[in-house]
Order: sequence, then structure tokens, then C-alpha cells
Amino acid sequence: MSEQKRQSEDKLLEKVTSSEYKYGFTTDVESDTIPKGLSEDVVRIISAKKNEPEWMLQYRLKAYNAWLEMEEPNWANINYTKPNYQEIIYYSAPKQKPVLDSLDDLDPEMKEMFDKLGISIDEQNKLANVAVDIVMDSVSVATSFKETLAEKGIIFCPISDAIQDHPELVKKYLGSVVPARDNFFSALNAAVFSDGSFCYIPKGVKCPMELSTYFRINEAGTGQFERTLLIADEGSQVSYLEGCTAPMRDENQLHAAVVELIAMDNADIKYSTVQNWYPGNAEGVGGVFNFVTKRGICHKSAKISWTQVETGSAVTWKYPSCILKGDNSIGEFFSVAVTNNRQQADTGTKMIHLGKNTKSTIIAKGISAGKSEGNYRGLVRISKGATNSRNFSQCDSLLMGNKCGSHTFPYIEVKNNSSKVEHEATTSKIGEDQIFYCNQRGIGTEAAIALIVNGYCKDVLNQLPMEFAVEAQKLLEISLEGSVG
Amino acid sequence: MGLIKNIKSYSEGIQISAEKREILTSFLSNGFPTTKDEEWKYTSLKKVIANEYSIENKGTIIDSSVIEKYSLGLKNKIIFSDGRLINSPSIKGVNINGFSEFESANTDSILQLNKALSKNGFTISVDKNTALENPIEILFFSTTVNGFSQYRNQISIGENSEVKFIERLQNLNNSASFVNHFTQINCAENTKVEYNKIQNNTAESQLIDTVNVYQEQDSTCNINTLIFGGSFIRNNLNFEQNGSNCESNMNGVSILNNNQLADNHTFVDHKSAHCRSNEMYKGVYLDNSKGVFNGKIMVRPDAQKIDAFQSNNNLLLSDTSSIDSKPQLEIYADDVKCSHGCTIGQLDDDALFYMRSRGIGIEEAKAVLTYAFASEAIENISVEQVKSLAKKLLAKKLNVDLDFSL
Repeated sequence: MSEQKRQSEDKLLEKVTSSEYKYGFTTDVESDTIPKGLSEDVVRIISAKKNEPEWMLQYRLKAYNAWLEMEEPNWANINYTKPNYQEIIYYSAPKQKPVLDSLDDLDPEMKEMFDKLGISIDEQNKLANVAVDIVMDSVSVATSFKETLAEKGIIFCPISDAIQDHPELVKKYLGSVVPARDNFFSALNAAVFSDGSFCYIPKGVKCPMELSTYFRINEAGTGQFERTLLIADEGSQVSYLEGCTAPMRDENQLHAAVVELIAMDNADIKYSTVQNWYPGNAEGVGGVFNFVTKRGICHKSAKISWTQVETGSAVTWKYPSCILKGDNSIGEFFSVAVTNNRQQADTGTKMIHLGKNTKSTIIAKGISAGKSEGNYRGLVRISKGATNSRNFSQCDSLLMGNKCGSHTFPYIEVKNNSSKVEHEATTSKIGEDQIFYCNQRGIGTEAAIALIVNGYCKDVLNQLPMEFAVEAQKLLEISLEGSVG
Repeated sequence: MGLIKNIKSYSEGIQISAEKREILTSFLSNGFPTTKDEEWKYTSLKKVIANEYSIENKGTIIDSSVIEKYSLGLKNKIIFSDGRLINSPSIKGVNINGFSEFESANTDSILQLNKALSKNGFTISVDKNTALENPIEILFFSTTVNGFSQYRNQISIGENSEVKFIERLQNLNNSASFVNHFTQINCAENTKVEYNKIQNNTAESQLIDTVNVYQEQDSTCNINTLIFGGSFIRNNLNFEQNGSNCESNMNGVSILNNNQLADNHTFVDHKSAHCRSNEMYKGVYLDNSKGVFNGKIMVRPDAQKIDAFQSNNNLLLSDTSSIDSKPQLEIYADDVKCSHGCTIGQLDDDALFYMRSRGIGIEEAKAVLTYAFASEAIENISVEQVKSLAKKLLAKKLNVDLDFSL
């Protein structure tokens, strides 16, 4: 490469690396917080504040005791200073929980924040036909379209409400896919989760709209422990969207969420995520620790599809998984993970084939820039009884700059001889010839890179619902700003 | 009891240096790796080390008919009997000696044990500018019942030299022997080395084989591993490229049946720019056999313009066979082309039907397809005798009377 070209490329990379987080701001809403630290009392306080029944308190305490005996995992290819769990505030809620009949009742400051994010609830309500359950610092502040959904028998509410109103469902399914003892972070979550979403789609119902929740971390030093439980009963269908943006903070914030999906016979769940937590500044100071456990179980002929666009967080540790328990069930995982500056991501999926004729597809695209590290870690396990199963995995990595790293750790375990598994992975940079081709046709280098990155991620972005696809593209642009026009 | 106890009581009766004693003490307190170690996640040594072994080798004289039986009939033969060097050819430009001490960088506990206990092995040095026409055949015979042996070998190839090796470990009884084999190959600038391993030992034999290859600028090193016999085989193959324009090639074929286990771990460390590596491992699993593959490619920062390709293809031909595969890429440089592919599947029913409808028996049809599957890796071997032996062993293993060397 000519010296001049190298220089211009360096400049470009510098621009990319120096682009700042766009959504960094905080909202001043008075919060009702409890002192920091974690103890049995804190768990009891959280449970009491939520006015929870005794069985829920017992569930939390059991999880807390399990957590005490567990060690924080360190097998992932990430380096970070382990959070001090006694320095975290485990509960904070906007002081008054407004009961909203219309959006006008919303705190104007909060409204402004949503506008800055470009969410504009009223617009979404009217135009996008999306029911938005906004979670701000652990407590839901706005729930819409509830009535429309209720007509169909769909329950979509904060999980704290579900514990009060539908204890039989929560009791039956909570922890059934991700047991409290599953791992360090899931145990922590089970002990202290303050809120999250609950969704139940009755038999044979096709959810008429996309369900979505916006998560935000707002209070300084507050860890957010979301719990999502989504049950799709026999023959039902639902598409669920989850998106995150977080204000800029210099302190590391912990996010340890648990998402459980249950797809009964013939049900179909599509779960999409756009994640843009604060990634820390260019020197790697601050940023969110995103340690999430997401898992779904598929019964007979059911389908679960995970789509994620991960651009934020200083450290990501996340493996949305499918347990293909029923015969003929299908699991899918589509992911774009972008890391920049000093971000680290260790993400991937697990496909556990238990039933006969089960199928899974994995498409993972990683983009690493700056001094970041991107990892794909995946497991495909075909058990003895999973005859005629099929898996296809593809994980590609794109490197931008020579200071970043990209790694793949696929685990493939096959225990029967009628299944087919294919795995392929590539690592490369954007070809000079590709950029030259575009330049030659009058497309500037930045636009060319944007074009190529978009094309590279197309397989995954195509899986997103319309509204999210637009937002995801915006995020890619912001994350790789300077090179992506 | 078990191996750890055997080693302990053996070590009490021998004279070794303080350094080795220290290594041994630390080994004995830590023990062998378990499935909790990431590198041994899928392969358990539990059964292997539960057996009783005899560590002191007796060293019996073997007669020439035995040698003939297992040799490929090449001119240059290095022969060991229970670790004792009993024959070494004199070749111009090549120095062949018995065991010598040398340092190895790898700190894996199996190698530590090898370092502490080894008394046998070969040391070969090839002079500068030497191109050998005939390959060198290396045979290790063992007559000890339930022997646990350590071999420690070093090969140093001088600049601009070219040489080929064929290595075979052979038990002369049916006992459950266990060999901890280590070979270090130093390739100087502009050398070409091919090292073929024929792993077709007796049914109960067990082996941990480690090869460390250090390459300098412009060198090419090919390591071919053919796995047919033995109950437990673990291969660790490590390449380190220390100069530009190096090429490392690995080919592996495993055809396993009964309760055999073969674990292939490979690691290519691309430390310099403008290098290449190619890896192709094919596995065929019958009966209750189990395969493990772990291929790691590391590209260090600033090692630009690397082309690294890895493929691992597996055929599961029985209900009870299994495979665990973990192809890994760790890339710290951007201007590289690295890829890995892994497939696990079966023989194509349509192809089988096609052949059967033309009067070819099911076993033969399967064998032809299996051969076609494995041949890609076998064809990369340049020594004709090894190639034809591989084909013969393949036919034998698949229970057919076919000659693939057409």
C-alpha cells in the first residue's frame, strides 16, 4: 500500500475511533433509591417494595444464597475490573409511578429524553402501531396499547404487575428456562431483579403488533437487573423488540438481565434486540458491563429466532440460546456485533438439539475497529436422540485497523450419525480492490466503506422488523462514524 | 494405584538432576490434566492413567523379520528397540545420534513429565545445503508389557536443506502401553521438511504425541498424520513461524472404529508477516469411536498478509460414534485472510444408491465414497510408500478388498 493511502486510511480510522457517543445525557428525575450494597435485607426490601407474595421472596432468597456460593466466571476472552457488588444500588425507581391515561401525563423531562432518542412515543403509537413499555430505571412508566392487546387475551405488562395479577403463570415459568443457579449473573438477577416485562400470548393468537420495550439506565451507579419472561402458548405468534440506549457516565455500570422465552407447540417467537449502551470513551473509561443471559426453549414444531445488533457496552457477555427440545423445532440466531475504541464483546449463541428433525441457523457478523476485541463463542450440540438434525453456522469477522482483534471459538459436539453440521468462519478486512472499485466509480472511500459494511450486515439486518432495521442502520453509522456515511 | 503411583515409586529410585526433580515434584502434585482443563475438555485421561504401567524398559533384541514386517522398506532406517537405538544409517550430511537434552518452550504438564523422565529418543541434525533423495524412516519398537515410555527427539535442519521423514511407533505385544512422545523440529532458513506419522499401533496402545515446529524465513514444513490404530491417541501439533514467507501445512486422516479415540490439537502461531498455513483434517468414525478436533490459528499483531486456511471434515458412520470439534481463530492483525470450515455429516444416500444400482456392494460403495472423502488429505503426502500404505490400511479398516491406488 502506498504511504499516502496508508496515511489517509489512518486518518479515517482516527476519525472512526474518536467519534463520541451521541446519546450521552442524563435526566433529572427524583429517584427513590435504597442504600448501596447487597445483603439478604436488600433482597427483602426489594421484595417488600414490590409488595411481592411470599413465594416470590423465597425464590429471591434462594437465588441470593446460591449466588453467595458462586464465583464470577472468567472463561470469556474479556478483561475488565470486576464490579464491587457492594458498591451497587440495587433498587431505584422514579419516585411517583405515574398512572398514565395519555402520554401528556408523562414527566416533560422524560418526554424530552425520549424525543432526543428519536423514539417519540406518540408518533410510534399512532404511526408505527407499536405498543411501547418503557422501562426507566427499573420501573415501567408507560404502558400503551394494553387494551388492544387485552382484547386478544394477550398479557403484556411489567413483570411486577404480572407477579400480582398472574401469579400462576409467573410461578410456573419463571426460572424454568434460566434457573436461578444457572450462572453467576442469572443468580444475581433472580435475587434482585426490580422489573422487566412479562408477556403471554394465548393459544392460537397471532399478536397483531410488534411488542417492544426500551430499556434505559438512568441513575448514576445503579445496576439494572431486568427480567423478561415471554410465553407463547400453542400455535401463537409474536415478534418482540428490545432496544437500549444509555446516558453517558464515567462509572462502570452493570447490567445483568435475564430473558426467558417459552415457545409451546407450534409457537413462533421472534426476539430482536438493538443494544447501544454507553461503550465508554475512547480510552476505555466508563461504559456499561452487559452480562446477559438469554435463553429460549422450543417445544414441538416451535420456532425461536434471535436477532441482535450489538453496538454498545464496554464489555458484552451474552449468548442468546435455543434449547430445541421438541421434535421439528427451529432455532435461529442472527447477530451483528460492532466493537470500537476499547470495547470488548464475547458473544454468540448455543443451539442445543434434543428433539428429532431439529434445525438451527447461526449467522454472526463481527466488526472490530479501533483497539477493540470482538469474540464469537458458540456451541452447537447435537445430542444422541436428535436424529436428522441440521445446523448451519457462519461467522464472519471484519477488521478495521491493525490494533483490533477478532476471535472465534466455536464448539461443535455431535453425538449421532444422521445429523449434518456445517460451520464456516472467515476473518478479513475490507478489500483494497473493493474500495478501489467504488472509488473508480466516483464513490468516496467513506461512502464505499458504508456500502460494504451495510452489504456485509445485510443478512442480519434483513431479519429485523422495519422500524428496527432503520434504527440499527443508524446505530451502525454512529458506531463506525467517520467511515460510514 | 495407577500411573501417578507408578511414576512416584519409579522416580524415588532414579538419579536425576535437581531441576528435573523439581519438575517431577510439581507434576506429581498437580497430576495429569482433567476435563476441567480447556485443552482437555473433550478427552479424558482418567481411564488411561488408572492402568498400571511398567516404566523401566527391559530392552529385548528384536530380529530382522519383525523390522521388515513394519518397515516401508526404505533404505535409511533408524530403529529403536525399547528406546535403545539399534540401527542408524550413515547418510552424507546427516548426523544421527541417540537421546540428548534440550530445552522446550512449551510448558504443558505432559511435556514437563517428558522432560523430567526422558532418557531415550533421537537427535538428528542435517547440514546446510543438503537435499536428501531418500526419506528417513524412523521406527520405535516396544516389547515391554504395559510399558510407559517417554521419547524426546530433536531434529535440526540446516539452511537450504530438504528432507523427509516417516515415523512409526510399534508395539510388539498386545498390552496397553502408553507412550509420551515429543519431537521438536527446527527449520532454518529456506528449508523444506516433510514429516509423516503413521499411527497404526496395536489395539490397546495409547499415545500422547507432541510436535513443536519452529520455522525461520522461507521455510516450508509439512506434517502428515495418519491415524488408524491404537485405543487412545492425542496429537498436539504446534507451529511457530518466526520469519516471513513461511509455510506450514498439516494433513490428517483418522479412520477409527471400535472404542478408539483420536484427539487432534493443532496450533499455528503466525508471528511474522507474509506467511501461510493450510490445514486439512479428515475424520471417519465407525462403531463407538470418538473424535476430537481443536484447531487454533493465532495471528499476532503486525503479522500482516497472512493466509491461513483450516478445514475439518468428519463422517459419522455409526449411531454411536461422536465428534467434538472446536476450530478457533484468534486474529490481531487486520490485513489477513483467515478462514476455517468444519462439517459433520454422512455419506450421500443418492451416491450410494447410484453405485448399488450398478452392482457395487454396499460395503464397497461405502468404502469408495469414504476413500474419496479422505483422499484429498492423503494426496498431499509426497512419499509414495506412505500414500499406498495409507490406502491399504484404509481398505483394511473399512473391511473391503479394494485397491485404491489406481
